[in-house]
Amino acid sequence: MSTRRLEAGELELGGGLEVLLAAALEGMPTGALLEVITPSRSTALELPSWAHAAGHEAVGDRNLPGGPYAVEIERGPFARALAEPLPGRRPGPPLRHGELHTADLRSPAEVPAAADGAAGFTPLGAIAERGAPAFRWTLNERDALWADDVSELTEQASAAQWDASRDIPWEAARGLPDFIERAVSQVMTFIAQNEYAALYVPAGFLADVNPAYPEMLQWLAGHVHDEARHIEVFTKRALIGGQPSYALAATELSLHTLLDERDFSGAALLLNVLGEGTFLDLLRFVEHHAPDAATRVAATLAHRDEVRHVHFGISHIRRAIATDPDQKAALIGAAERRAAKLTEMSGLSPLLTEGLTVMAAGSLQPAELARGAGDVRELMQTMEDNRIKRLRAAGFDRRAAQHLSDLHTPNLM
Amino acid sequence: MRVGAVAYHPRIVTIWEAFLEHFDREGVSTDYILYSNYERLVEAVLAGDVEVGWNTNTAFVALEQRLGAEARILGMRDLDAQFATLIVTRRGETFGEAGELAGKRLALGSRDSGHAAILPLHYLAEQGLDAASECELVRFDTDLGKHGDTGDSELRVIRAVAEGSADAGALGEPTLAAFRADRVPAVAELEVAWRSPTYYHCNFTALPSLEDTLARRWEEALMAMSYDDERMRNAMDLEGVKRWLPGDRAGYESLAVAMSKT
Repeated sequence: MSTRRLEAGELELGGGLEVLLAAALEGMPTGALLEVITPSRSTALELPSWAHAAGHEAVGDRNLPGGPYAVEIERGPFARALAEPLPGRRPGPPLRHGELHTADLRSPAEVPAAADGAAGFTPLGAIAERGAPAFRWTLNERDALWADDVSELTEQASAAQWDASRDIPWEAARGLPDFIERAVSQVMTFIAQNEYAALYVPAGFLADVNPAYPEMLQWLAGHVHDEARHIEVFTKRALIGGQPSYALAATELSLHTLLDERDFSGAALLLNVLGEGTFLDLLRFVEHHAPDAATRVAATLAHRDEVRHVHFGISHIRRAIATDPDQKAALIGAAERRAAKLTEMSGLSPLLTEGLTVMAAGSLQPAELARGAGDVRELMQTMEDNRIKRLRAAGFDRRAAQHLSDLHTPNLM
Repeated sequence: MRVGAVAYHPRIVTIWEAFLEHFDREGVSTDYILYSNYERLVEAVLAGDVEVGWNTNTAFVALEQRLGAEARILGMRDLDAQFATLIVTRRGETFGEAGELAGKRLALGSRDSGHAAILPLHYLAEQGLDAASECELVRFDTDLGKHGDTGDSELRVIRAVAEGSADAGALGEPTLAAFRADRVPAVAELEVAWRSPTYYHCNFTALPSLEDTLARRWEEALMAMSYDDERMRNAMDLEGVKRWLPGDRAGYESLAVAMSKT
């Protein structure tokens, strides 16, 4: 076997020589010889122990008086990583006008239908070394999680981030009359309360998702982050007017049952499609009737995020039903189970209805109040009509859509 | 098979838990018993409390001296078959012949360490330097009973040389490699001036009375341990072994001579 030669020059062990040595030996077959030439006697004397620690063996040396020194290293049989050899270099993913999009990292066909529930954190394209500890992921199947446009949705989520401290004209919220502030504060508190559940539900699934689906992790992490900001913005809006409100027990009951749903698709139906879907109409209502620009902008920005979440939900459910028609019955079952736990709920809390009415009326004058009450009735109808449309878009027939809409919580989320 | 080992670091438990699983898979049921120092371990082997002792070279030689006969060596690490001691100096203060160390301050590790104290003195004497009388010895006798396994005394040796409180210092070759890998700052100030001949270090020692079939089966199971086995790589890295070798006694002669003089 021929001997390769490596001139160490002034490089020493611990000073960069080990990088050159490792690179040279890596590409050599077991048993091949590398002759290292160094002017340093110290380096020559230290090379045998370096070689052994790196899995090779120093097999000979020629220490000419005054140097240079030559140490012969035999390439050891061990792979540095316990894994198959790295494949060769390939063309990287394409760019879109200089942008690298998540959707372009792999084709839909390359998303594995199932992933190893014990596998570790192996980034896309990386080769996992053997011998890592076993994990226990529970969401290991693509079809239980996926939406065809999840990558595009994450892209939109990243691009649409906003700042609840700086992007809201907070000054505009100061100095409203007491009765309006009370109404706004109660509505904001109610929304914030619900946004907590909208955070905890995806967060509860996030850490169960197999790392083989980074698109899903990005999506869920974005969802969680959006909801954290919604909690922030609506809490801030309630606080800035200085008027505290109630966190309603009936709302808690409804949200508690939402957190009970441990099936990802069931939760996507109950939260994304039904809950956040219904909230789209509520946020539009708040935006339209906001007495100040801060409330209006907060509702507008939150609405923009919720559109994405609802879109994911519809897209996921549609795909789930298309890949497994039995899913439909299971999903209806999830909604029925939740409704059964909510039989004691009679309707939307009067405190919230009154708040929405006063916001819409903008005054306590009878004529305005009557108009406001009409607007709230109209909102409830719009919510129901749109819920059915969304359920139809998700793949339910008219009857099932009506049934699911009827089962939906009176709490809106 | 009961194997005795010295608990010089908490990782010994990690290592032996993995080793036990390996021996189990190989069908040779094995357990381990930990001692706080090698003198106790030698006692335990001689008393039959354990069938095998995972001994340093110093412990092995002491055991044979006590036994007055040849013990049985069941195996050693590849590392143990090619051990050497290095002497380091500050950069630019290297020396050529051992004799040039006369009159200098020579730092040594724990006095019960074969590689960091006993053997450097022995090999320097072979090269004509009686360091005990001709050098000022700066000894770091830490962790006595552990025979240098902890590396603590050698860390003090290289710090002493780097700071200038010693002119040269002896340490095990793998210890310097480990200090380099850990980016120990003092190492950057040093160069290697001298390398001893190679000698043997640790081994698995049994009494000659150990039943032959059991001894062979255990040896075979040990040799079957593979660095390419992902269940074993971490434990083998912690133990500093890439391959187990059958043992022989050729490489213990120098230490036996050195220890017979003290």
